[in-house]
Amino acid sequence: MKRRLLLKSLSASVGALLVMPAWANNWNLQSVGIQTSFLKLEQANLLAEIVGTIIPEGKIQGAKSLGVPVFIEKMIKDCYEKNAQDDFKKGLENVEMLSNGAYNQSFINLSVPQKEALLKKMEVSTDVKQKEFYGLIKNLTIQGYTTSEYVMVNYLKYEMAPGHYYGCVNV
Amino acid sequence: MAHFNIDSKKNNTYDAIVIGSGISGGWAAKELCEKGLKTIVLERGRDVKHVSDYPTAMKNPWEFEHRGQVPLEIRNQYGNSRSFMREETLHWAIKPDEQPIIQEQPFTWTRGYHVGGKSLLWARQTQRWSDFDFEGPKRDGFAVDWPIRYADIAPWYSHVEKFAGISGNKDGLPELPDGEFLKPFELSCAEEHLKKSLAKNYQGGRHLIQGRAAHITDAKQIHYDQGRGQCQNRNLCVRGCPYGGYFSSNASTLPWAAKTGKMTLRPHSVVHSIIYDEKKGGTANGKATGVRVIDANTMEMIEYYAKIIFVNASAINSNAILLNSTSNHFQQGLGNNNGLMGKFLAWHNYRGKANAEFDGLKDKKTDGKNPSNGYIPRFRNIHKQETDFLRGYAIGIGGGRGYGSSRDGIGEDLKNSLLNPQLGKWYMSAWMMGECVPTEANHIRLSTDQKDKYGIPQIILSAKWTENDDKMVKDFTEQITEMFTLAGFTNVKAVDSHSNPGSDIHEMGGVRMGKDPKTSLLNEWNQLHECKNVFVTDGASMTSTGTQNPSLTYMALTARAVDYAVKEIKKGHL
Repeated sequence: MKRRLLLKSLSASVGALLVMPAWANNWNLQSVGIQTSFLKLEQANLLAEIVGTIIPEGKIQGAKSLGVPVFIEKMIKDCYEKNAQDDFKKGLENVEMLSNGAYNQSFINLSVPQKEALLKKMEVSTDVKQKEFYGLIKNLTIQGYTTSEYVMVNYLKYEMAPGHYYGCVNV
Repeated sequence: MAHFNIDSKKNNTYDAIVIGSGISGGWAAKELCEKGLKTIVLERGRDVKHVSDYPTAMKNPWEFEHRGQVPLEIRNQYGNSRSFMREETLHWAIKPDEQPIIQEQPFTWTRGYHVGGKSLLWARQTQRWSDFDFEGPKRDGFAVDWPIRYADIAPWYSHVEKFAGISGNKDGLPELPDGEFLKPFELSCAEEHLKKSLAKNYQGGRHLIQGRAAHITDAKQIHYDQGRGQCQNRNLCVRGCPYGGYFSSNASTLPWAAKTGKMTLRPHSVVHSIIYDEKKGGTANGKATGVRVIDANTMEMIEYYAKIIFVNASAINSNAILLNSTSNHFQQGLGNNNGLMGKFLAWHNYRGKANAEFDGLKDKKTDGKNPSNGYIPRFRNIHKQETDFLRGYAIGIGGGRGYGSSRDGIGEDLKNSLLNPQLGKWYMSAWMMGECVPTEANHIRLSTDQKDKYGIPQIILSAKWTENDDKMVKDFTEQITEMFTLAGFTNVKAVDSHSNPGSDIHEMGGVRMGKDPKTSLLNEWNQLHECKNVFVTDGASMTSTGTQNPSLTYMALTARAVDYAVKEIKKGHL
C-alpha cells in the first residue's frame, strides 16, 4: 500500500516537472485548459476580464495574454486558506452584482471606462471586503505580470548573474 | 558469531571519525584526509552533491510555480517553522518530527540537516577575532579565560582563508585583524559617505569597512584546483552556488577530502553517542573508542571505531551527543565530571535593527549585485570599560539605491509605470551584532523521559536574554540614530525587534575551552580534558562569543586541532 502511494506521489511530481516549463515559457491561454477546476468557467472568465482591465493588452502585452489569470487562480487555490478562497469567490460574485446594479449588465459586457470606473470604486470602497478583494486581485496581477518572463526579460532588464557590483556609478 | 563481530569491527574501523559535515566538519575531514588518515564523516541528513543537488540554483523567478510562495498543504507539514519556507529553498527545511525539542523559553534554532549543513546557508561574513575578544572574559570577569590568544590562531586563520577564498580590504584595525584577502567588493557611495562622516565625527574611533566575505572575487590556482570559480554576483547563495563562488563544505573541503581517497562520507547517520572504554589508554584516563550511529533509513544501530573523534555536529547537537555519551566513568556525559557541559550557552544579539533614507548623491547609483555588506567593527568598551553594559557590538551596514514603480492607478497608466521603474532614494539599513555574555543559567540539557524517533533523548533549551543584552540594544538604537543623523540621513528608525535568542544562528558554548579542567571542558587544543582523543571544534567550544560572525574561527580552530591531533598520534600519545 505504502509503495503504491509512493509511486503515485512520484508520478505526481514527475507530472509537476513536466508542467513546469509551461510556466516558464507558455504563459498563454492554452494552458488554462490543463490547469484547475477551482473556479467555474464563468468565474474564470470574469477573473480574466478583471485582470485584463487592471493591466490591459496593447502594443505591449498585457496581463491576460501572459497567463496572469491562471497564475492568480493557482495562487488562491494552493496558497490561501479555505475562508480566503471563499471570500475570493464571493468577491467575484460581488463584482457581477455591482456591475448589474450600476449598468444593468454583466461586467464582461461593460466598456473599458465602465470597467475601470467600477474597479476604482472598489479600490476606495468603505466596504472592507470589497476593498480587500480588489487589493488582493490587483497585487496578484502586478506580481504575476512583473515576474513573467516576457516582462522581466524585455522590460525590467532582468539578469540572473550580473557578474559585477559597482558601488558608485553615474545615473 | 564471534567471527562475524570481528569482521564487522574491522570493516567499521577508521583512523578518525568526524561527526558532522558542515563548515567545521568539512575542515576536519579535509585536514585529516590530507594528513593521510582514513576518515569517516557522519552526517545525519541526506547527501547534497555540489551543483547537481542544488535544484533551484539556475531557476528564473517565473519558473517557480507560485513565485516562491509555498503552497499551504506543503507548508502545514512543517509545523510552525518558517525557516526556508520558500519554493527556492524548501529543500533545506526540516519537518518537526525529525528532531522535536523542548523550549523552556523561546529559542529559534535553525538546523542544516544535509551534507554541508549550514555552510550552504550561511551569511558568508568572515571576520577575524583579535585579542580584544580573546582577552575579554579575563579582563571583564565573566566565563573563564580563553586558553589561547590571537597569536595561537593567526597562522590558522591564514591557512583557512587562503583555501576558502576571502574577499576584503586590509584595513589596519587592531580590533579586526587583517587576513589573506582577495580583492574586496566595493562600498556603495552612500556607504562611503557614512564612512567619511564617521571618521569626521568620531575622531577615528568608529570605522566603516567592507565586510570580509567568503566569496571568490579573484580566483587563484588553489580555487581552480577545487573546481571553483569567480562569484557571479547573483546573490542567490542560499540555493547553493553552481560556480562554487562562495565557500561551502560541498564546493570546497569535502570534494578535496574525497580526492585523497581517504574519506568515506556516510549520510543518514544520526549519531547517538560516543563509546567510552575506561580501560583503554592505560593510566588515569580511558579513551573513546568509537561512535554509535542510528541509520535514519533502517533505524538500525551501527558502531564505528577510530583512534580520534572530531565532534562537529553544530553547537547544540555537539553538546547533546556528549551529554548522551554516558558510561560508568562519565555518568553525566563524556568528559563532564565537573557538570558544566551544556551550560554557558550563548549566541549573538541581533535584536537591534535600523533604517533610514538619504536624499543626497542623486546623480549616483549602484550597478550589479553586492553579495557582501558594509561593517562597523565593535567600538564600545574596547580599550576600557566605558558603558553600563559589558562588551559591545559590531554593525552590519547596507546602503543602496533601488528602482521602484508606483502601483497606483489602473489600465495603461499602471502598465506604463510598472514597465518603467524609477530610481528611488538611497536606502540605508543597519543591524547590530552584539556579544552575549555567557551565563550559567542559559543552558541545554537532555530530557530524562522524552525521546525522539531515533530513541535519542530530546534536547531541552533553556536560554533567555539578560539585562546586559537589553542595555546593549538600547545603546545600539541610540548610537545608530546618532551616526545616521550626523551623516545627514533622514527618516531614521531604530528598533528593538525583540527577536528570540538563537535568531542570529550563532549559538555557541556549552563545551567551552579553558585552562582548568575544573571550570572548562576542553583544553587549548579543543581536546576534552578528561578524554583526550575527542576533539570538539565547532561552536560548542566557544568560551565567549565576540561580535564577529563565528564560522571563520571554527574553521581555524578545527585545522589547528587536527594538526595537533595528528602530531600527537605520531608521538604515540593518542
